[in-house]
Amino acid sequence: MVKLFVNMMKEEWRVHSTMFGSLSFALFPVMILGIAFMGSFLLPLFRAVVPPGYLAIIIHTIFLLLGIMVGGFGLLGMEVMNRRFGQASLLSYSARSLPISEREIFCTFVVKDTVYYLILWVVPFVAGFAIASPFISVPLSLPLLLLLTLTLAFLTGLALIFFLSTVYSRSKQAFAVLFVIMLMGWAGLYLYTGISTAALFLPLQLFYAFSYATFLAACAVVIIPSAIAVVLFTSEYTDTTKRFKNAIAPLTKKLSFFPYPPLAAKDLIDLFRSGSFIGQTLFSFFIPLGLLWFLLSVLARFIPPGDVLLLFAILTGVIASTMYTWLTMFDTFSSYTCLPVSVPVLLKSKMCSFAVLQVIPATFIVLVSIASGGVAYLVPAFVLCLSVSFYALSVTVWLTGLSPSVLVYDAKVLLLYLVSVGIALLALIALAFVNPYYAIGSVLLFLPAWLLVKASFTKWDMQDQPVF
Amino acid sequence: MSLMEMKQGVIEAQGLVKQFGDVIAVNNISLSIRQGELFGLLGPNGSGKTTMIKLLTGQLRPTAGSATVLGLDVKKDPVGVRERVGIIPEQETPPSFLTATEYLDFVGEVRHIPDVLKKADWWFDYLDFNDKRDVLCKDLSRGTRQKLMFTQAFIHKPTLALIDEPLINFDPIMQRKVKDYLTEYVRCGNTIFISTHILEIAEEICSGFAILHKGTLLHTGTVAELKERDQHLDDFFLSLVEKGTHG
Ligand SMILES: Nc1ncnc2c1ncn2[C@@H]1O[C@H](COP(=O)(O)OP(=O)(O)O)[C@@H](O)[C@H]1O
Ligand SMILES: [Mg+2]
Repeated sequence: MVKLFVNMMKEEWRVHSTMFGSLSFALFPVMILGIAFMGSFLLPLFRAVVPPGYLAIIIHTIFLLLGIMVGGFGLLGMEVMNRRFGQASLLSYSARSLPISEREIFCTFVVKDTVYYLILWVVPFVAGFAIASPFISVPLSLPLLLLLTLTLAFLTGLALIFFLSTVYSRSKQAFAVLFVIMLMGWAGLYLYTGISTAALFLPLQLFYAFSYATFLAACAVVIIPSAIAVVLFTSEYTDTTKRFKNAIAPLTKKLSFFPYPPLAAKDLIDLFRSGSFIGQTLFSFFIPLGLLWFLLSVLARFIPPGDVLLLFAILTGVIASTMYTWLTMFDTFSSYTCLPVSVPVLLKSKMCSFAVLQVIPATFIVLVSIASGGVAYLVPAFVLCLSVSFYALSVTVWLTGLSPSVLVYDAKVLLLYLVSVGIALLALIALAFVNPYYAIGSVLLFLPAWLLVKASFTKWDMQDQPVF
Repeated sequence: MSLMEMKQGVIEAQGLVKQFGDVIAVNNISLSIRQGELFGLLGPNGSGKTTMIKLLTGQLRPTAGSATVLGLDVKKDPVGVRERVGIIPEQETPPSFLTATEYLDFVGEVRHIPDVLKKADWWFDYLDFNDKRDVLCKDLSRGTRQKLMFTQAFIHKPTLALIDEPLINFDPIMQRKVKDYLTEYVRCGNTIFISTHILEIAEEICSGFAILHKGTLLHTGTVAELKERDQHLDDFFLSLVEKGTHG
């Protein structure tokens, strides 16, 4: 088990560092540290505007969100799915031939993922804050406490998604029931007792007031769902004889308005058969956005509700742009190496499929506008969401080509992404806050997006495609 | 086959170099392969065979040098090259979530092959995997996936096929079938380029061969030549590689 763990860590490091260059990869935590360090100096500024308690909520929610995203990405996405493919060469797969149980491999895999991301994201963040703390007259005990509570927040997110996704893969009905119960329990508690959601978020409570009871309860929230997930875990090798009718032919005909109908048909089939259409929509779209909505509703006390909606539309756009990863996740370029398909053609085709998927955020933002009573802002919110999504997509494609997962590991690429997307977002937020209707001007983002996409075609055509 | 191609050779490589960081996987290789050959690129693991095939099919860009395949410059028109040839990569990678039939249909759509499913039927029979046609590729065994990749490479009847380690996942019966198919295929005037580290295969079916070691070409020749000299390919191979290591 320990040996397997060590090997998996090594493998993870090797995969990522060969994929992105070991320097760029090693710099990743350094960059997070730098951002946290410099961000700490803005703290007094924040405090003047936002009460300190709220800042704590925001940071803890971000790490909860991070846990959920990593969980959704890591567990549901690439790697566990990879094991189900039968073609991945990762150790977690080849270990099938060793005398170790599936469950043991799976546990080790999860522990590895957790440790890995803790080192990559949580530890450097807290370290940056700790280094800055003497300069901003914060006692060192605070970053130490933060290390504990942020880790717990991160793990809570991971455990939650781990738990839900295992239930989901066991039984879709059970999952639906569980999901509704959780949602109703949450709403009911809030409506009838007035206990705010923040009070249920134990890592945050622990940060406010440390007590061993809260600590143990927070640990239980992480451990119990994880334990249940491990017990419920099944390796899905049972339905290997499942047969399917030819869907390529009819779909290719139906999708003839696409520039590359067979490629679009394949994208669609991949999305549905891998289960990622429903899975990803739920875990990488609705759950993160639900949390973001909660985060923003905290801010609603400081900014007008219309602005909250527009801010939410922008963030929805950013999350919607990650739908590109749904399309590339199961489709490495190696499937095309023996076919006369060029990288630009593949990129174009993926972007068309992406455009179709944008129906989800578009509908979503319209519904949210109506539900939150912001119908007056519906048009700017709608335009903002889609412009941001396509712009962020173009930056992603330009930086990462067909392997957007690079973003999560390569410091240089992530920094470029944050700067390119961040500047545009800040400008849009400023614009929207001045006058919501100015936000419609965000359609102008389609221009740089278009230029970036054109540049990407040349850029990625000139490069060898990595084969994993 | 144009006159130019015949004179020029189906594959012409001039001083091909491919460098990955500080590893020189392919080091200044020039090759010329004529129509109708069944050419074997031989060499131990890591000698650069796969890299060489990827360079010739435009999957990788050469660091230096140039190559033409069927008269097309692989650097300028890699898609054109892939349109005309058939390729079986080293690792079978049919898309996980398509069935075998769907994959061949997909290939047919991309390559604009008329009646591809009818052609596929013949292959399902010939390679004996009719019962697996509606199973997702991720659930196929390695051997079946290799059969599928084999079909994919030949279904459009290319005049040139490049195959990386052609027999690696096949049982002896299948190996026999595939060898027969390849020999018959070149007899009809087509050309096949295979890479392998298994020397018996080369000795049995190849006409010409080249020996690669650590990215460098040690020897090119014909199997007939060797047989005349009454020399086994493996003895010859080992002596060359030995020299290559010490010299
Ligand atoms: N994408 C790559 N990045 C770095 N090194 C590579 C890559 N592909 C191949 N190599 C290296 O190039 C050499 C030749 O590899 P390869 O062509 O796969 O050999 P063969 O097919 O003869 O076994 C090996 O040393 C291998 O490690
Ligand atoms: Mg090889």
